[in-house]
Amino acid sequence: MATSGFRVCALALVFVAACLTAAPASAQKQGGSVTVGLELDISGFDPLKVGVFDTSGNIAATLIFDTLTYLDDSGKAQGRLAESWTNSEDFKTWTFKLRSGVKFHDGTPFNAQAVAWNFARQKDPKNKCRCAFYIANILTVEAKDELTVVYQLSDPAVNFPAGQAVPSSNNVVQSPAAIQAKGDDYSRNPVGTGPYILKSWTAGDRLVLERNPSYWRKGWPRLDRIVLRPLPDAQSRFASLLSGESDVVWADAFEADNILRARKNKALTVHQYVGSGATVYAFNTKVAPFDDLRVRQALVMALDKKKMSQVLTNGLSLPATNPYGQGSWVKCKDDGALPTDPAKAAALIKEYGKPVEFKMLVTATPRGRAVGQVMQQFWKQVGANMEIEQVDQATIVPRAFQRQFQLTPWRIIDLPDPDTQMYANFRTGSPVALANYSNPVLDRLLERARVTADQARRSDDYCEISRLINSEAIWFWTFQNDYYAVTKAKVKGIPKLYSGVINLAGAWIE
Amino acid sequence: MLGFFARRLLYLVPVLLAVSLLTFMVGALLPGDLAYVMLGDQATPELIAALHKQLGYDLPLWQRYLQWLGNVVMGDLGRSFRTGDLVLGAVLDRLPVSIELMILAQVIAFSIGVPLAILCAVNRGGAIDRFLTGMAFGKLSMPSYMVAILLIYLFAVQLNWLPATGYVPFTEDPLANLRSFLLPALTLGFGEWPVLMRVLRSDMIATLQEDFIAMAKAKGLRPARILLVHALKPSSLTLVTVAGINIGRLIGGALIVETIFALPGIGRLLVGAIYARDFIIMQGVVLFVAAAFVIVNFLVDMLYALLDPRIRHGRA
Repeated sequence: MATSGFRVCALALVFVAACLTAAPASAQKQGGSVTVGLELDISGFDPLKVGVFDTSGNIAATLIFDTLTYLDDSGKAQGRLAESWTNSEDFKTWTFKLRSGVKFHDGTPFNAQAVAWNFARQKDPKNKCRCAFYIANILTVEAKDELTVVYQLSDPAVNFPAGQAVPSSNNVVQSPAAIQAKGDDYSRNPVGTGPYILKSWTAGDRLVLERNPSYWRKGWPRLDRIVLRPLPDAQSRFASLLSGESDVVWADAFEADNILRARKNKALTVHQYVGSGATVYAFNTKVAPFDDLRVRQALVMALDKKKMSQVLTNGLSLPATNPYGQGSWVKCKDDGALPTDPAKAAALIKEYGKPVEFKMLVTATPRGRAVGQVMQQFWKQVGANMEIEQVDQATIVPRAFQRQFQLTPWRIIDLPDPDTQMYANFRTGSPVALANYSNPVLDRLLERARVTADQARRSDDYCEISRLINSEAIWFWTFQNDYYAVTKAKVKGIPKLYSGVINLAGAWIE
Repeated sequence: MLGFFARRLLYLVPVLLAVSLLTFMVGALLPGDLAYVMLGDQATPELIAALHKQLGYDLPLWQRYLQWLGNVVMGDLGRSFRTGDLVLGAVLDRLPVSIELMILAQVIAFSIGVPLAILCAVNRGGAIDRFLTGMAFGKLSMPSYMVAILLIYLFAVQLNWLPATGYVPFTEDPLANLRSFLLPALTLGFGEWPVLMRVLRSDMIATLQEDFIAMAKAKGLRPARILLVHALKPSSLTLVTVAGINIGRLIGGALIVETIFALPGIGRLLVGAIYARDFIIMQGVVLFVAAAFVIVNFLVDMLYALLDPRIRHGRA
């Protein structure tokens, strides 16, 4: 009896295993074409011209180019153009072994020299690349031999390979030969090693990519053609999916109605990814009334983020209680979030004694205004008067850097590791430590977290950092970063939308 | 005729100068600083100062204007800082789309507006006149973005007859090109016909009371011939002017319609530039559109003279 039970179990296991291995192989059909509706026009691919890629640029970049690494579904870095890597003990030197036999679309070989050349071009002060800001921590990139490249960093980065997975203008490897040959025309005629090759591009209309028949990865790419189209209007973008002109569309939480409708439609699939980071706000703790802890705490406790989400995004956006979010590997049992408690908030304001009146910077966009007005109402109810100061998005940055604000919106973007942004935002003396707040305990924790290799211990440190920031209420967080794509149900093989990027490199049609 | 032409042409110069000055001032007086947009997160005071110098922002305003005007006259509208594209090139690339859209919209507006106007003028005060006038006012009060979404919902999503978005070049597939333009042109044209109809209707009513129409009737000419041959031309003076001025409304409408239907025209270019804070493209497109508007209206004035001999002989 016992043995037969075992046999049935074993058989079931074999069957399950067979299904697991067989199913994807039979389902991943070759061929077909997918049209993608994006929000914005792609501005180009030469980092010197465009500086940084926006999300539309990133989505195209994942197809035309490769990065050294990619993130698997658990958020760990795996090799793409790099096969393996090692690091020095201080996490300041990283050595990558590159994949051999990879060629750019123009036939020139991909090698360590190409990686170093791309970096040097962006780093060169003469080129004044806006992209240089994001590689400030990388001192040199050196080709040690054909397939070995060494990164020297100014600051330790324990999770450096994960950072290389983002398909940014810094990380994608472009063909040095093509850049030199095409000059000014290169930006619209990009050449990479990626699974798709640029076929044609009509500005403002469509960018057509065709499969790279000699892609290094066996079985990839599966689609014959991918067409990227900028469809700026959210309603017609969604309509184009319903009417069959698009197979995949980019979406965001502010079109909650469309997303909720798509979830009920069997012919469509909604991809939602709640990343790391959050929409955040910083108090200037050096100016009244925010030099007083009670006022800061009161304002945070007055905000009912669930209600805010209802009003702004039909409940789609998830409230944030720390700067890390669901998508981060930082997991906190206790992040020290202050409770939503308007009564307590009103009491704190009363205790403060003086009238609480202040200005908040708000981006001069419909969304910015809506968020500002909702907060204004919550704060009014506890006796604080906020005046909305509408400014252009481009003005927020210098205002924040020069600390010409009382309360400013900011953003912690979805990156594989919290270190860069947390260190910049909270370490005493950093240009973006917007709160003007200094605390040796916080500094020590930030310093330690960035050089600890053990992820569990790092996570503990970051949770302690969160508790400290939350209790001091120098910054607060409203919503987690959430990203959406709506696709026809037959489009398969889209991984998590890391950093909001819809990655179609391995997609196929069922 | 030649004298009239030369006089009108001379008027163009101060008008175009004023247009260029306004466009420049709008760009210069906007809050926000191009240098901050270009430098983004790394805007240190030193870099900002260096970039200001490079952009010529340290010069007095009038000097910057003259410099810019000099470049514009030479056909140099500058380069987008975001894409590195020449502004003039970007505008010319997208111009055919906008022109096709506007021509189709005008054709639709005229082919609805003119017959209905004649119908109303003939049946002045009758049931048809009252009904169509009511419809025209109803239509006038519907904004184009609403019409666009309704058309998309009906023809693209529900019936699936026409594409909701997109553009196929005429050279690639003429039929698909017309299909992709149909909904946007309908949206724009729908907004225009009531204006044309109202104007032509009242002019036509006046013309129909003239002695020469009574004469034509007395001669026993067929009503259709009287209306189309004898009455239409003298009644269409205001219509032509309004159609010229309407180009401005069409351009304004194209901003919205091209964005909704994702047509790669200059309206989209402008809206995209505004969102991306690409001031140089913005300035270039606005100047181009304003100049085009002025020139089109100059041409309309010329047409006016052709239609009415009294004007070209200066006895109006």
